[in-house]
Amino acid sequence: MNQHNDETPLLELPVVIDGAPPQGVRQAEPSEAKAWSVAIAGWLVPGLGHAMQRMWGRALVVFFTVGLLVVVGASMRGNLFTSNGSDAFDTLGYVADLGVGSFYFLARAVERTGADVSHAGGDYGTRFLATAGVLNLLAALHAYEAARGRKA
Amino acid sequence: MTAMLLVTLTHWQAFLFFAAVISVAFGFLGRRQPKDRVKYILWSFFLFLVVGIGIAWAMYPFSR
Repeated sequence: MNQHNDETPLLELPVVIDGAPPQGVRQAEPSEAKAWSVAIAGWLVPGLGHAMQRMWGRALVVFFTVGLLVVVGASMRGNLFTSNGSDAFDTLGYVADLGVGSFYFLARAVERTGADVSHAGGDYGTRFLATAGVLNLLAALHAYEAARGRKA
Repeated sequence: MTAMLLVTLTHWQAFLFFAAVISVAFGFLGRRQPKDRVKYILWSFFLFLVVGIGIAWAMYPFSR
């Protein structure tokens, strides 16, 4: 006959500590390819990187803040740089403007008569456009890091 | 469609707009909990104003 020892448990249940997976259960590894696709999607369409990870609040805020900066910047006739810049600052501005992804074309559509930086408004608009690009790149980087499981 | 949206903001309005929009984005990206976000947004907005006005006053002697 089998006699049960009181010190040994009848059934071994997995112990879960602070939401960690039980021992022996493998957690899905964050995929590097998925993280890159999230980053690229977040760059192309502001907020999409977060939306792909069901971070709806962040997705909406990124979409609307970047969009607002682009629309207001272009409406103030800020300078939207192109690839054929004459100096390093133009190239740097182009890189910053490209940061908004597909919204670059939205800015082009809004700013039909070209830039006017002879007034302070146009100069502020240029800064708004560049800031929108850098902010979107920051958001895409944040989405990438979240997809890799580093932070959320 | 040839209609074009034109926006004219004063220096102060542009300053406030910029500070508000960036503060909201920073708050949502930097914090998870709603209470922490509100605190971060308000603090960031306050710092934008203080630093912006501080730099403006610091540049005043060199403006002419």
